[in-house]
Amino acid sequence: MKIDLSVEAGGVRMASPLLMASGTFGFGREMDAFYDLSILGGICSKGLTVAPRLGNDPPRAAETASGMLNSVGLQNPGIDAFLEHELPFMRQTGCKTIVNIAGYSVEDYVAMAEKLTDEAIDAIELNLSCPNVRTGCMLIGSDPLQLTEVIQAVRAVTDKPIWAKLTPNVTSISQMAVAAADAGADAVVLINTLMGMAVDWKTRRPILKNNTGGLSGPAIKPVALRMVSEVYQQVDIPIIGVGGILCAEDVLDFMVAGASAVQIGTANLISPCAAVKITHDLRQLLGKENLTRISTLTGTLQLWS
Amino acid sequence: MDKIPADPAGQRHGIKYDPVTTCEVAALVRLNSDTSQLTLKAPRIAAAAEPGQFVNLEAGHFLRRPIGVMAVDRQQGLVQLGIRVQGRGTEWLSRLRPGTVLSVMGPLGKGFQLEGYRRVITVGGGTGVFPLYYVQQMCREQGIDGIAVCGYRSKADSVLTDHYRAAGCQVLFASDEGDLDVEGHAAAALEQLLQSLEMDRQEDTLIAACGPNIMMQAVAKIADVYQYDCQVSLEERMACGVGVCLVCVCKTKTKTGEANSRCCVDGPVFPAKEVVW
Repeated sequence: MKIDLSVEAGGVRMASPLLMASGTFGFGREMDAFYDLSILGGICSKGLTVAPRLGNDPPRAAETASGMLNSVGLQNPGIDAFLEHELPFMRQTGCKTIVNIAGYSVEDYVAMAEKLTDEAIDAIELNLSCPNVRTGCMLIGSDPLQLTEVIQAVRAVTDKPIWAKLTPNVTSISQMAVAAADAGADAVVLINTLMGMAVDWKTRRPILKNNTGGLSGPAIKPVALRMVSEVYQQVDIPIIGVGGILCAEDVLDFMVAGASAVQIGTANLISPCAAVKITHDLRQLLGKENLTRISTLTGTLQLWS
Repeated sequence: MDKIPADPAGQRHGIKYDPVTTCEVAALVRLNSDTSQLTLKAPRIAAAAEPGQFVNLEAGHFLRRPIGVMAVDRQQGLVQLGIRVQGRGTEWLSRLRPGTVLSVMGPLGKGFQLEGYRRVITVGGGTGVFPLYYVQQMCREQGIDGIAVCGYRSKADSVLTDHYRAAGCQVLFASDEGDLDVEGHAAAALEQLLQSLEMDRQEDTLIAACGPNIMMQAVAKIADVYQYDCQVSLEERMACGVGVCLVCVCKTKTKTGEANSRCCVDGPVFPAKEVVW
């Protein structure tokens, strides 16, 4: 049976619902040594800032039950070096290029969006959710007024699809998603990492030099699923689901809950070829259920009344 | 990296080279109260691993654990690793039993660059003596003169001393308690050694260090004073092992200033002159 894995989400038509989450795939170069990246739906670039950033001091990672904390702190070469050295590589991978940008201010997001608008990219992912920098990002994304301002300002300078990647570290994710949709976002990406901490009681120190970090991995999948399901009831724009996906069943759970596409993040750090296996297993699972088009599953979850 | 053939069943469509393989535990030998020697049946890794490279091992929890390669037997396809219990992952690894199958990624990283040297002085402290043992084995294979300086807390804490003695290199064992050849830490023993050597082989001698940061920093300084080339193997908490997550960084000098380099792919071995301590 021929299985159609193609989906459309947030103005981007993709051969597969699998996107590689920002910060877990670099710009694709390292992973290109391991498999043919054209099997993917797309790659979300490492989060970019206006100027290059060294990121936080190590240790930058700590293990947790069923997951990990990271506090990389947006180490990146800056938008200009990205355009010159990394974008040409991303363009020839055969999958979609999503550029993740992280600002300290509205002006930062606008400046980067202006540089990207005439480039051959498929979507701009607004990082409104990084928990590891002191200003911008999550602070902007936790305030519906600032979030609205950023999305409107970026909308005014580009026709590229805008994906708003939201933080779960808020009282109401639906409020943020509604604000993003009203401001003109083409999709919401749910969720970035949950802010957390790991402690070494013997040294009386946090393990991360940044004290806190972002929790990812299967530990957060139930939280992400709940948020995708909740937001699906509230907004009409597509949802891209992310949070602890390790296997094909996880992908289908997110799609049924309301996601039009998904992002694979921490799984890439455990198994570089995770997406290859997931792609294969998706075909198998759908075939067994006589489902020929994966996109028909989106939002088919029937909540108990 | 070598390429592996595509899966004939076509189940892994698109794979060029999967760095992850499954390996069976051949043996686990306890060396002292907190240190063990793990032997894996891993022909692909045994064939490809160079001194200073590491593997990223499944360790019973979520993240893998990076462990330097201690020795390989290419004929029998075996890889040996030294495991010291430092946390939950290494604790789990130190309880493995023969026959257990593990997911192992590797070999990974840039190892020691021995080309062009006719003599290599290894300086190891703590678990650093494991990967440096592989350096001495390689020196023997390639006809490079080897001198090994190993630092331990005490004689009771010492490991691999018989291995090093049998490796055909000159050996110098130091302990903090003074119950081995030299009293003091490995860097102090290195300095004593250098004072006793003729100062005529700076050009063709490499000092290769692996151990606690404070030891490597002292070794780098001594190497600089005595004008020897020095390479150090750095360690940092790691996640992916393949360069994508930017977790395991260390500060290095570049033409334009400082950078955060990745221990997993830019290292773990760096020229000592490039490291910002």
